Amino acid sequence: MFPLRLIIDICVRLRIHPNTLTFIGVLINFAAAWALALGKFVTAGVIMIIANIFDFIDGKVAHESQAVSAFGGFWDSVIDRFSDISLFIGLIFLYSDLRRTDYVMVTALAMMFAIMTSYTRARAESIIKKCKVGFMERPERIVLFMIGAFTNRMAAVMWVILVLSIFTVADRIILTYRELRETHEAIA
Amino acid sequence: MTRTPLSLPLRVLWNAFYWTYERATWQYDVMVVAILAFVWLTPPEWLKDPMASGAGPIGWLIDALK
Repeated sequence: MFPLRLIIDICVRLRIHPNTLTFIGVLINFAAAWALALGKFVTAGVIMIIANIFDFIDGKVAHESQAVSAFGGFWDSVIDRFSDISLFIGLIFLYSDLRRTDYVMVTALAMMFAIMTSYTRARAESIIKKCKVGFMERPERIVLFMIGAFTNRMAAVMWVILVLSIFTVADRIILTYRELRETHEAIA
Repeated sequence: MTRTPLSLPLRVLWNAFYWTYERATWQYDVMVVAILAFVWLTPPEWLKDPMASGAGPIGWLIDALK
């Protein structure tokens, strides 16, 4: 992809640190959240695309400028959570402004389970080898946010994110339970 | 304790719930199509969408069949 290649090359040449790119990405996502809060969905969608370009290139720039570090991975994961949560907060602001308590709750629950999706995997992988089950991961969530924004179907998107995030969290709990039980049985 | 194997519909439901498929598999593509169908075809009125209105494609179809 030529434009992305060009942006990556420019960032490497200008010696922009990948952690800085990650941070710029979250700032742009805050702007997207602000646009969502104002109900300007198409603007939010465009800003989300720009923010995700930064999210995409930071890893590539880190690789090409030989700046890959454990802290970079940690920083990226933490900043991703801020980006995710900010988009949900933007929508919660909008729905509360519209006095729609039902959708404030749907969005708040979707946010809770989206965070738990990441948490369950991170926590599980501290006690088992791998915990990569469940459909609703971050890329799916981001693409759904964009689809909801560009086609003005954010309510339906919130329902999808909520239900599939609940399933994903449940899947990760089930997998962790099974793996630990198998390990326990193998030892016994 | 021996477990009886699930029937096909139950197995499909279980596999959709307990998702172990990677991206770029046909199961993933089917799920994406199902999600997009729900998002785009469900009438916003049914979901009481605060920002969108109208019956949507399913609503138009129901109206046309009436």
